[in-house]
Amino acid sequence: MIGRQRWLFVRRALSARFALFGGIVVLGVMLMALCAPIISPYDPIKQDLGAALATPSVVHLLGTDNNGRDVLTRVIWGTRISLIAGLTSVAIGVIAGCVLGLAAGYWGGPIDDLLMRLVDAVLSFPALVLALALGAVLGAGLGGVLVALGVVYTPTFARLMRGQVLTIRTREYVHAARLLGGQDWWILARHVLPNTATPIVVQASLSIGFAILAEASLSFLGLGVQPPDPAWGSMINAGRGYLQQAPWMVFGPGAALFLTVLALNFVGDGIRDALDPRTRF
Amino acid sequence: MGRLILRRLLATVPVLVLVTLGVFLLIHLVPGDPVEAMLGESQDAVAKETLRRELGFDQPLYVQYVTWMGHVVQGDLGRSVRTHQTVLDNVSHRIRPTLELAVFAMLISLCVAIPLGIVTATHRNSAIDSFGTSFALFGICMPNFVIALLLIFVFGVTLHWLPISTFTDPFDDPVAGVRSLTLPAITLGLALSAVITRTLRSSLLETLSDDYVRTARAKGLGDWAVVRSHALKNALIPVVTVLGLQFGTLIGGAVITEYIFALPGVGRLVVDAVFARDYPLVQGVVLLITVGFIASNLLVDVLYGWLDPRIRYA
Repeated sequence: MIGRQRWLFVRRALSARFALFGGIVVLGVMLMALCAPIISPYDPIKQDLGAALATPSVVHLLGTDNNGRDVLTRVIWGTRISLIAGLTSVAIGVIAGCVLGLAAGYWGGPIDDLLMRLVDAVLSFPALVLALALGAVLGAGLGGVLVALGVVYTPTFARLMRGQVLTIRTREYVHAARLLGGQDWWILARHVLPNTATPIVVQASLSIGFAILAEASLSFLGLGVQPPDPAWGSMINAGRGYLQQAPWMVFGPGAALFLTVLALNFVGDGIRDALDPRTRF
Repeated sequence: MGRLILRRLLATVPVLVLVTLGVFLLIHLVPGDPVEAMLGESQDAVAKETLRRELGFDQPLYVQYVTWMGHVVQGDLGRSVRTHQTVLDNVSHRIRPTLELAVFAMLISLCVAIPLGIVTATHRNSAIDSFGTSFALFGICMPNFVIALLLIFVFGVTLHWLPISTFTDPFDDPVAGVRSLTLPAITLGLALSAVITRTLRSSLLETLSDDYVRTARAKGLGDWAVVRSHALKNALIPVVTVLGLQFGTLIGGAVITEYIFALPGVGRLVVDAVFARDYPLVQGVVLLITVGFIASNLLVDVLYGWLDPRIRYA
């Protein structure tokens, strides 16, 4: 029965416009990230100055950069950073946001007031400026970026979760669980949390693409993964100075970034349509 | 209307207090000693001790916050540890290019998005609708730094039509000024126009199915007259909201756009301060930007209440 439901969900998700295309691209990107050491034709770090700025050819499909490194290889390895950044920062946002939203919605009163003002305060910062400021104080590197983006995404999930909990906590089965002597944590985990999952999953799936964009923006500015490690944002920044001689240094990772974000958007739309069929009409 | 403004202002006070607290704590999130991080190993112990005392780090945290807030409410947002200029001086020198860029980007986005939003809504499911929705998706998913580099590559490097990294103030030399801001404004305006096109399309589609629009059609009005005189005014209300809320996106976009095109604006100031580890300057500029963002949201709330009386009495 569960297998049949899953199959129906997948069919519904794939019936959304371009969701199949998005699914195939996302699957391809995930496979590239997993199999990077096997499928990448060259070493992503090792320099070969004799082959610097080579134009795209059969030997180097996307050309080489100013240090003679194969751009395609670095794009393939860059998928790892992008996926880790997108998934981890959204996961931090989901976990922190859900805890805050659950507490605010379930207990209400002063706890709700305090937590929601806190959420409002975080939302008052322009997202990229907040991420930049946090990234700056936490230091350049993937860790700082993940925490910074996690903080940026937390308020969205906290508000979403609070709204859901406010509706669910008034339901009869929650009252019944309370009358039966259930502890708060047990009621939250057993009855409230599972019924709030749908909008959180939809929002999370739509946020991953934008988290990847945000990580690339911070890497582009020099705050993310540091060279020589390959990240799409820092690769594009490195290619900026060679735009005239080697535009492939910019447009190779740029195209990969655009395609991944576009595909994740299509998949997010598909998941939203499958979980909430009303949005299709 | 007065009550709405008062209600919104009162709701802003606790948020502002928390924002100042967050910005104040920013410098204390620096791993290790922030003074060491700012001055590095190049300065002697005396200079470090002087800066530590200047920033009040020898005081308890709550005393530091109260002192800092006392200065902030008097308009003293601190000073740069590198140039020793005050934050307000720094920002006042840099705000003009940022505002010019934001206004130009907003104009470009409206010129693109309003006709496109109307045409895609009135020609639903046609080829032009597909083009419009694809354009919107492109604008949302394409990183603005890639758009900027694409524009530089085509119009600057290949065709040599427009300058790529020189800034001229349009008030000093209108032609050179507009030319220097064209590529940055297109970069910044594209994502904004994508969001506005999407919002206007869906809002207009909803409005066009309303009863009063059907009545206007039944009275014999042409399609364009119905859109212009009846549907568009109501459909533009959510667009006003989106425009106001996009201030944050504009500022975020300005950071990257000014960095790429070497414009001497506030966005560039933030990036330079971050890389110089000039934390008091980062703090001050972030606080100013955030207060500006809160004020723009407040303005949108009030404007929305003025445009739609139902909000006022809610």
